[in-house]
Amino acid sequence: MCRPSGRRSLAPSSATAVRPRRSLRISSRHQAWAHRALVAPSALAVLVLGAYPLAFLLAASISKSSLGAPFQAWVGTDNFETVLADADVVASLWRTAGYAVAVSVASVILGVASALALHRGTRSGSIVRTVLLLPLILPPVVVGTLWKLVFNPGGGLLATVLGAVGIDASGVAPLSSTTWALPAIGLADVWEWTPLVTLLVFAALLSQDDEVREAAQLDGAHGWALFRSITLPSIAGVVVAAFLIRLIIALKAFDLVFMMTSGGPGQSSTLTSYVIYQVALKEFDVGRAAAITLVLAVVVTLVTLPVVALTRRVQRDG
Amino acid sequence: MVAAPGHRRSRHVLTSVSLALCASLALTACASDTGGSTPGGSESNGTSPGDTAASSGDRPFEGQELSALLITSHEGAANWLKAEFEEQTGATVKLTIVPYDEIGATLALDQQSGANTIDVAAPWYVSIGDLAAGGSIQDLTDWIDAESESLDIDDFIPAIYDPYTLVDGRRYGLPFDGDTHVLFYNTEVLAKSGITEPPATWDEYLEQVEKITAEQSGDGVYGAAIFGQKSPLILGAAYANRLAGFGGEFVDAQGRPTINSPQAVAAAQSLVDVIAHAFPTPAETDFGVGNGAWYDARVGFIENWTDLGVGSETNPDSKVVGSWGVTTLPVGGDQTTSRASLVAGFTWVIAANTTKDDLAKEFIAFASSSEVNSGLIVADPQTGIDPNRISALESGPYGTQYPDLQRVNRATLDGALAWPTGENASAAAQVLTDELAKLIAGEGGTAQETLDRVQAEWETLLGS
Repeated sequence: MCRPSGRRSLAPSSATAVRPRRSLRISSRHQAWAHRALVAPSALAVLVLGAYPLAFLLAASISKSSLGAPFQAWVGTDNFETVLADADVVASLWRTAGYAVAVSVASVILGVASALALHRGTRSGSIVRTVLLLPLILPPVVVGTLWKLVFNPGGGLLATVLGAVGIDASGVAPLSSTTWALPAIGLADVWEWTPLVTLLVFAALLSQDDEVREAAQLDGAHGWALFRSITLPSIAGVVVAAFLIRLIIALKAFDLVFMMTSGGPGQSSTLTSYVIYQVALKEFDVGRAAAITLVLAVVVTLVTLPVVALTRRVQRDG
Repeated sequence: MVAAPGHRRSRHVLTSVSLALCASLALTACASDTGGSTPGGSESNGTSPGDTAASSGDRPFEGQELSALLITSHEGAANWLKAEFEEQTGATVKLTIVPYDEIGATLALDQQSGANTIDVAAPWYVSIGDLAAGGSIQDLTDWIDAESESLDIDDFIPAIYDPYTLVDGRRYGLPFDGDTHVLFYNTEVLAKSGITEPPATWDEYLEQVEKITAEQSGDGVYGAAIFGQKSPLILGAAYANRLAGFGGEFVDAQGRPTINSPQAVAAAQSLVDVIAHAFPTPAETDFGVGNGAWYDARVGFIENWTDLGVGSETNPDSKVVGSWGVTTLPVGGDQTTSRASLVAGFTWVIAANTTKDDLAKEFIAFASSSEVNSGLIVADPQTGIDPNRISALESGPYGTQYPDLQRVNRATLDGALAWPTGENASAAAQVLTDELAKLIAGEGGTAQETLDRVQAEWETLLGS
């Protein structure tokens, strides 16, 4: 748009016409370099943080690679065949998917409920809000240690509370039970990450149009009807997005397993991230660990795709 | 063309600056020769520690720094070694302490990444084959052969020396921590249940554990603490003790896996049988939990390293001072004599990419010497080090202060069970541990089925 008018104004003399064109060329070249310079950090970040690790992972997964000596020999799909034939790895993938969906659903339900409660108490709830966010601030290692102590049968919080109500807690050791170890980790996980959902949903509630809600209330909508017909549709996009974020976090869960059970008893709480850690850093087999990581990436994609589609649909409808 | 005066002046300045730079580079090179490298240079691999010291004065490594990587259990020993070595050589020792199951990975990553911040390390001996295959540690065969006299190789306990250092005929380190398990018992707990003699067989052990738990668990006291956490150094150790007792082997003389032998299956079953009567939450019982229960006088038995005896007397939290005994591991099946089990020994190795070869050799020669081992095993506070030298095991102070420990430790002199140490040994140990964890959690089928699965995987990993 600028160029034609510029040409017109520079038309009278050929000598004067050349100079501005050159200066224009120089200026556009400068602009191009400036653009490149501005884009370069992002491009570099994508290359360093995304492309390089992915290329390394792909190369490692089709090679015999140890921790000390990666890429010793190309082995084709051997690592993938080994991984998919390993019943423990396959079981850990199913376990991880089930765990992630369960803790994500729990976090979203509790997160939405606590956000609604907070929203109602906006004027008086600053301390409560701060306390609710505390688990999110704690390092995951601390959360793991804390909950391990809670479940300690020898004087932990659970044993103490059960003892106080007259229940013999000496045999209550969720982390030593093949049935309860993973739910116990899930409880700690939900405690840790629900505040994130709360925070996101609370922000969405604050951006709600009060007039719509008040109008609905004047029309007689209250309680569950008000929530279902007015509040939920207005925050649905954020709730689904929060679920997606929560799901991705849960699919990568590692620290709580590491701190609380080391994947035991047996394999009952071994999630795939823990298997990857164990294979790479304890067995020194980086090739197989890379193959498991890629298989996990496929599982994460399969689990999250429907949620991504739902997020888009809700946002489009909203 | 004649240069302008200004140009001449600039050329003069440039020449002076270049000369000054060259001179400073040369000086820096000299300085790094004396400070950063070794008195003998990198070619002096055959120089004995003693010779090196003698040729360079009393403090030959003055001003140099050595970076040593050790595990948390060895922190006391590390500080002891640092103080002594710095005093003797003038070098500075920088310690890096990591959890026991991370030392191998830390060393491998340090070397593979090119960071090369570590000069020497004391990893679990089972990992030396993998570290060697990954090019993370040096082959010390030639140096050890050349210096066998000054290193006093013959004084190492034979049952320890080869497993801790030898992989495919080459030597990669020198033993540091003997680390055999023995059976400790609380005399008061046993007496309360009318038990006067510690068990000689694993069957007797099971009976006594059952009895104590049945009679005293109401008071929070159990028959035994069983290390059951899913780690080769923990659950793997508990199994190895029984495997040794039943006369089994991990691999045969040719290195072929024999982990589903009748002895190995009996050992696994023996472990399963006692879990039900052990201190609660075996799956969570690691060193901290198990040792805590022992010091708190809440268990009758615990299988542990001999230095637990030192801790039982010197640990400020110990409630078992003067009320414990120790015996060799029980036996089972056709086995009639007790065998030591080298469950968690540690070996000094030199990082592949260190530039301080001579200093590193000086250090590991010092740290694995008879004098140091003799000092560490009786040090107070406890250092976590067990005998790996015959002279240390038979030393006067050890015999005087800890006669019972000396007696049970002599079991290592008659041969001991060692883990495989070649390439993939770390993975093999982890596979066994995972399967044992499933077995004791009731997820793995029978002991025979469990060990058949391990055997199949080991044949792939270690060769059939």
